[in-house]
Amino acid sequence: MMVKRNAGRVGDNKAGKANLWRRCQDIIWLSLFWGAGLVILILLLCILAYLLYRGGSSLTWEFVANAPAGFPLGTQGGVLPAIRGTFYLVIIAVTASAIPGIITAVYLAEYAGPTKFSSLINLTVQCMVGVPSIITGLFAYAFFVLYLGLGISLLAGGLALSIMIFPVIVVTARDALLAVNKQYRLVGAALGVSRWYILCEVVFPQAMPAIAGGLLLAMGYAAGATAPIMVTAAAISADSSGNLFEPVMALPYHLYILFSQHVSLSKAYGTALLLVLLLLLINVAALWLRSIKKGA
Amino acid sequence: MQFKAKKQLYLNTSMGLICLLVSSGAMLLLLAIVFFIARESWPVWSAMGPAQLIGGLDWNPLAKPPLLGLGAMICSTLWTALGAILLAAPIGLCSAIFLAEFAPAWLAAIIRPVLNVLTGIPSVVYGFLGAAVLVKYFEISWHMASGESLFCASLVLTVMVLPYIVAASESALRAVPSEYRQAALALGVSRSYAVLKVLLPLTARGLLGALILAFGRAAGETMAVLMLAGNILLFPTSWFSKGEPLSALIALELGTSATGSLHYHALFAAGLVLLAFVMGVNLFINILMHYKGKRGT
Repeated sequence: MMVKRNAGRVGDNKAGKANLWRRCQDIIWLSLFWGAGLVILILLLCILAYLLYRGGSSLTWEFVANAPAGFPLGTQGGVLPAIRGTFYLVIIAVTASAIPGIITAVYLAEYAGPTKFSSLINLTVQCMVGVPSIITGLFAYAFFVLYLGLGISLLAGGLALSIMIFPVIVVTARDALLAVNKQYRLVGAALGVSRWYILCEVVFPQAMPAIAGGLLLAMGYAAGATAPIMVTAAAISADSSGNLFEPVMALPYHLYILFSQHVSLSKAYGTALLLVLLLLLINVAALWLRSIKKGA
Repeated sequence: MQFKAKKQLYLNTSMGLICLLVSSGAMLLLLAIVFFIARESWPVWSAMGPAQLIGGLDWNPLAKPPLLGLGAMICSTLWTALGAILLAAPIGLCSAIFLAEFAPAWLAAIIRPVLNVLTGIPSVVYGFLGAAVLVKYFEISWHMASGESLFCASLVLTVMVLPYIVAASESALRAVPSEYRQAALALGVSRSYAVLKVLLPLTARGLLGALILAFGRAAGETMAVLMLAGNILLFPTSWFSKGEPLSALIALELGTSATGSLHYHALFAAGLVLLAFVMGVNLFINILMHYKGKRGT
């Protein structure tokens, strides 16, 4: 039908054929583009659905609220110490790197003009984003664990994670500050108010939701990281009481142990589901916080 | 009045100074990482010589004298990362084009957060799912003794780097001024023709940058390859053989190596090689993008 109409319009048979081929090509490419776009959606849905299907039955209240038990350890019971350990690790990481991260972001966004030095810092931060997490772990092992003598401990792991999330905090906070309308700064300068005053009273309140969103994003990043804590903080079994100088359990490492030591597949699915749901929550909250300022 | 202004001035300059100091500290942190890893690996570089360390194919730290060749691991790292990019590039570029040019607004508004959520899933979960599902699948339906292989690792890395490729290429595509699209469409070509023949050549550099960025990410990834690559210290002869990438080697052996032994220093040498590689990739991207800015598209 389509072909006939086309051929009739063009009048020449040869041109009609070329036209048909073009149309086919268009349809093929278009379906490829649509397919690739939908693949992303399907991927996430498959991952979530499969985790829910396999892990849903083991994710009960007893699983969340009990310590691991049984022999080998983890075949029964739950993951409470791992949750607690992950919580402590994330808190230490964020407290250690939030303030220097935000100050660096303020410097990049407010004080430094387009100078050589600020572009050097930007390049450094970009390089730090790219540093693989196992390298951070390696450095933390050599520096915190051995050189400073902290041993395999909560503190060493938290500091390793803080190095890892530092560039994330800088980048998100810098972008949040730069996104604040330039007008405010100009008006403030015209009124003769100091830069510092404008920053505290006007720019910061405006950028606050996005900065908090960035911090949350960094926390999620820290909660899911395994490689840095594997060599600096994690233990197969610990009660994670919050003592800074003792090893802790952590959710991602617990998942790795449950699977790689063939402890219990169903508990592993439960842990994976718990971890993914936790991070989903954090990420969605972070996305929401970061989208707030667009409305204002 | 005079006093107050002076105090303000002090406050301002001191705040600027503090900001400057802290951000210089950030730079020092990166330098410290590089310096420390280089320092810890120095003994093995001087004892073995770089050629033997990087080119050597045997790894047996317990032998006397210890055999510490990183060649097989370097090859495994490159193989998994390149394989992942090879698989992810067509899908990633197509979906970036879809998001930038064809997707209806509501669908794009769903897919973009989904990309963020996908990057938020921790690598250990990807590794676990890959090992529990993909490896089992290979074992059962291909009758393999054990399903782990570099190919498996590449397959999971593909899913992991896909969001980075899509996000970076989409922003590159969006940066093209709309005049190009309008001019192409005004000539009567179809939209997909315009994308393929006009937009893609214009953004080639940005798309290449996205792929290289993803390559760096894939090379540095640890948990997924640790659980999927098979961890066998042999030179990988094909994509479907097993291997042990650098990151997996470090994660597995760091805890058991005696501090101060050649084995320990060799693991830091492996870290230095990986770090140098990833930093090189990052600097290369920076130069690539800078060059583009100078030419002024």
